[in-house]
Amino acid sequence: MRTVANTPRGRGILSCIQCGRCSGSCPIARLVTEHNPRRLMEMVILGLRSEVLPQGLPWYCLSCFTCLDRCPQGGDVGEVMFAIRNLAVKEGNIPAGVVAQARSLMETGRVVNPVRSILDKRESLGLAEIAPTGVEDVQKILKITALDKLIRSR
Amino acid sequence: MKYAFFLGCLIPARELSYETSVRKVLPALGIQLVDMKGTNCCAPFSIQSLNYASWLALAARNLCIAEEMGLDILTLCNDCYESLLMVNTILKQNTKLKNRVNEILSEVGKEFKGKTDVKHLVDVLYEDVGVDKLKNAVKEPLTKMRVATQPGCHLTKPKRLHLGFIKEFGAFDELVRATGAETVDYDRREMCCGGPLRDINDELSRSVARQKLMDIKNADVHSIVTVCPFCFLQFDLGQLEIKRHFKEEYNLPVLHFVELLRMAMGMKLEDWEINSHRIPISGILKGRL
Repeated sequence: MRTVANTPRGRGILSCIQCGRCSGSCPIARLVTEHNPRRLMEMVILGLRSEVLPQGLPWYCLSCFTCLDRCPQGGDVGEVMFAIRNLAVKEGNIPAGVVAQARSLMETGRVVNPVRSILDKRESLGLAEIAPTGVEDVQKILKITALDKLIRSR
Repeated sequence: MKYAFFLGCLIPARELSYETSVRKVLPALGIQLVDMKGTNCCAPFSIQSLNYASWLALAARNLCIAEEMGLDILTLCNDCYESLLMVNTILKQNTKLKNRVNEILSEVGKEFKGKTDVKHLVDVLYEDVGVDKLKNAVKEPLTKMRVATQPGCHLTKPKRLHLGFIKEFGAFDELVRATGAETVDYDRREMCCGGPLRDINDELSRSVARQKLMDIKNADVHSIVTVCPFCFLQFDLGQLEIKRHFKEEYNLPVLHFVELLRMAMGMKLEDWEINSHRIPISGILKGRL
């Protein structure tokens, strides 16, 4: 728990009273039993590191922040999820879709890039060009924050 | 009013009709847009999940570009909005983090000073233009249209980030009603569209969108209206994906709010814009309801 609490965005774990309002608010918990924010908070509180960080659990959250708004403790469950994911990533737990977006960010400065037909359409409409922008700066930022190494290793 | 226009990644690459409609509608309402040059990805949910410092620095670099222009930022995308607004708020409040981020930014010739504000399209339409002026601009009110609104989570949540302006559903619905359309209540309105899990867990992402579509279908509306490009994608393209996976058809046309506004202001959509919708919208265009 202390590791999560000391990770940026993770402090809210300290306020959790296990009331379950987050689970009652969660659109994903409504659909699948694997995802249960209250239980995930409990696992973190109990220090069940190996059952949380290398697993799929941190990646079910939509970050819709419904739980955060409803937490009676101001416990920031949706924010704590970011801290948990940041720690999971350090253990190499990154879904393929996220790796793809990060790679696109590193190569083009954007996570979504237009296909040829859209580029042609933009040109014919006289819309601002969206060639890769700021890429060198993005690469420098990713290098300084050590994210580039992580992405390249995938 | 004049704004630094931050388009983000998704809209200019996938939802051109959103962009072209904004470029027509906003100037007609007295809002001037100045394109931001050399911006990068806002650092949405997926990138934020990787690393905290990368997120802050990537978002802050965009904020610096607006500061250099001496303008506040206007963005159309809920994810860009949330990311930029969060980082702007954090760095304005926390000097230690600001200094750390500025150390990183100094390597790319930028410095965050805290001199810009981040606005969403809805902020600008509600606060700068105002509902009354919007009503006056409406030439062909869409009085027969019943719509389900979906403002998108990150326009209003978390509440503490959006203090001082009651956006909830009230403000967005007021804007929609200014076009003459009727906003219809439906079950689980506040629920997310499932967009953030697209490409990460497609099956789950689709299931969330499907739940929303079922609830909206029950409300007997002509269309879904949204300002969020991810909600749009989830509902428009999403209906085709759901048809393929669940063998279910909802046939609910999805409109960007500015498209609705543009129609109401008497500025017709062009054929390519109409055809860019995967779920045909021709049936709900003015005069055909």
